[in-house]
Amino acid sequence: MRIEILYPEVCNLFGDPFNMVFLEKTLPEAEFLRTPLNETPQFLSEPVDLVYMGPMTERTQERVLERLTPHREAVKNAVERGVHFLCTGNAMEIFGDAIENEDGSKLDGLGVFRMTAKRDMMHRHNSVFVGTFGEIGIMGFKTQFTMAYTPDPKNAEYGLFRKVKGVGLNKKALFEGVRVKNFYGTYLVGPILILNPDFARHLLRELGAGDVPLAFEDACREAAELRRKDFAALVH
Amino acid sequence: MKRNLRFYFALLFARATALAVKLVGRKGTSMPGSWAIILCPDFLARMPKPKHVVFITGTNGKTSTANMVEDVLTDAGVDFICNRLGTNVATGLASTLLAESRFWGKPKHEYAVFEVDERSAPHTFRYVPPELLLVTNIFRDSQKRNAHADFILGLLDEWIPKGTKLVLNGDDPLSSRLAPENERVYFGIESLQGDRTKVENIVNDLAACPVCGGALVHDVVRYHHIGRVHCDACGYRSPDRDFLATAVDTTRMTLTVREADGEHVYPLANKDTINIYNSVSTVALLRTFGLSPEQIAESLAHHGIAETRYHEEKAGEKTVIRYLAKGQNPVACSRVFENVRDAAGKKAVILFLDDYFDAKHTVENISWYYDTDFEFLNDESIVQVVTAGARHADVYVRALLAGIPAEKLRHMRDEAEAPAAVTEEADTVYVLYDIYTIPLAEATVRRLHGRFDGEKGGADGAH
Repeated sequence: MRIEILYPEVCNLFGDPFNMVFLEKTLPEAEFLRTPLNETPQFLSEPVDLVYMGPMTERTQERVLERLTPHREAVKNAVERGVHFLCTGNAMEIFGDAIENEDGSKLDGLGVFRMTAKRDMMHRHNSVFVGTFGEIGIMGFKTQFTMAYTPDPKNAEYGLFRKVKGVGLNKKALFEGVRVKNFYGTYLVGPILILNPDFARHLLRELGAGDVPLAFEDACREAAELRRKDFAALVH
Repeated sequence: MKRNLRFYFALLFARATALAVKLVGRKGTSMPGSWAIILCPDFLARMPKPKHVVFITGTNGKTSTANMVEDVLTDAGVDFICNRLGTNVATGLASTLLAESRFWGKPKHEYAVFEVDERSAPHTFRYVPPELLLVTNIFRDSQKRNAHADFILGLLDEWIPKGTKLVLNGDDPLSSRLAPENERVYFGIESLQGDRTKVENIVNDLAACPVCGGALVHDVVRYHHIGRVHCDACGYRSPDRDFLATAVDTTRMTLTVREADGEHVYPLANKDTINIYNSVSTVALLRTFGLSPEQIAESLAHHGIAETRYHEEKAGEKTVIRYLAKGQNPVACSRVFENVRDAAGKKAVILFLDDYFDAKHTVENISWYYDTDFEFLNDESIVQVVTAGARHADVYVRALLAGIPAEKLRHMRDEAEAPAAVTEEADTVYVLYDIYTIPLAEATVRRLHGRFDGEKGGADGAH
């Protein structure tokens, strides 16, 4: 299995690179490709099973878009042909239509799906999210300056996780994140794969890894169960 | 800005609040300042200020540095006010200005030294423009409040007044580039034991040249992005330092600083890297302020690091060390973890990493654990890591991912059980705690005494 991590030297906020550390420990045989900002992503020209991009600063979003915009059509084609993407935090915004500043100025995204993220730099949003992915329970954390909007205010067309408690793509959305074919985008940090062993297992099955046990799976499950119980007890 | 009726109403209300607070016996509260700003949002702008204002800000070290600066100024007989007992945001500044002024607001003192939270720059810098500003460093901090280093640097760049003279860390390639038009001096350290040329920490917010985006050469790496860099592509290099620690003697606990008028020797309060930087920044600020080397050296000789941050004592044959590891601050915790690793002897570490408030009301966002170098705790000399509290199972997962063998780890929900879990094998027991869990750390030390030296274990002194 080949996993490409895009721009790890700059897309590395909120501990999310550990999503990939976790996969490295889970899949010791897999090949992990780390593509820095000044190099062309390998998934554009070679077979790659999963492309990962983590959260970044707002300035870095501009630099990432500068690098990826010339490859806009190739990125769209990769999503269309079913390459798996996992984008966490504001990395997902790169693939939407636009990122809008408070003054109305816009940064054009790659346009893979219809979504506009709106920044509010003086009001940071922090929350705990509880939801579902099919039958799988999901829990994660949001820490962001943006809310994102899709044509359907409830984000039912692209929704990745159905909201149970917390905030979805925006305060009115019933869903969190974006799923288009095998593109998984979510604002949830944590890191999401460590926090959600069942979701990690699902992703690995889709990637063809079968029922491979996760690194430190029992400990991850115990921690996830404790978080779920604490949240149920403390937050009504 | 002129004072208006609204200002005077807020002033009177705040005075009444201060009186009520005093009558109920509370100290160091920011309540009067809070009310003043609620009633008059630009209260700080309208409130008369001392003639000379000094700000101390930065991600790490600002409290320790501010305390040292204030101690020296007190010893030097400078007539100043400070917010040492209050908060370091706008309400704390307002409370201090209120408390240290005459009835209608006229300042009683000529100088003010304020420790200021870097995130509060939009609410403080424009209203109380500092004449001198020390920035200790800028790092990732609480992601909930501060987002990331770039966001904080942007705020400071936007709000530092043009006339403010800056005292900057020349070894911090991020904060040394703040407000480039402003007059400035730089401080730094020539060399330290353990200097390297590669960043070994998880967090490095300087991945590329800050000028051209090219590849950076790290000439010296101290921790995270602190060190000396240059870029072959555009010629950018770390700035020369006006106050350069040329010798750090950790045996005699002295610091030699090369300044414009020669070299001067100062006492060193503590030998860990952040505290050496705190000492150098203190010297740089106070020399720029106008004190003589003799005034500074004489005063520093009898002041140390606050005991609430680091305290060593004996429990039977064991050394017990209470050490502040500021929660949700991955760089501060990583520094402490590295210092624990580098300390001599066989060590056990008790980790209390929960955010006190989150643990009571919600599930804490634990993603900051993954920005923190737990890998430093994976060392032969650390014979055990005990973690307790609401998120103990998450800390356990993080420790496993850091490569710490499961047999060295113990974890439990009840913090009171942690001392009993400590192995006899350790010579030294570290109790690492957050700023809001000082009573828990103290209670834990009492329990360790109860276990190791036969003294009666502390009754539950935790929250």
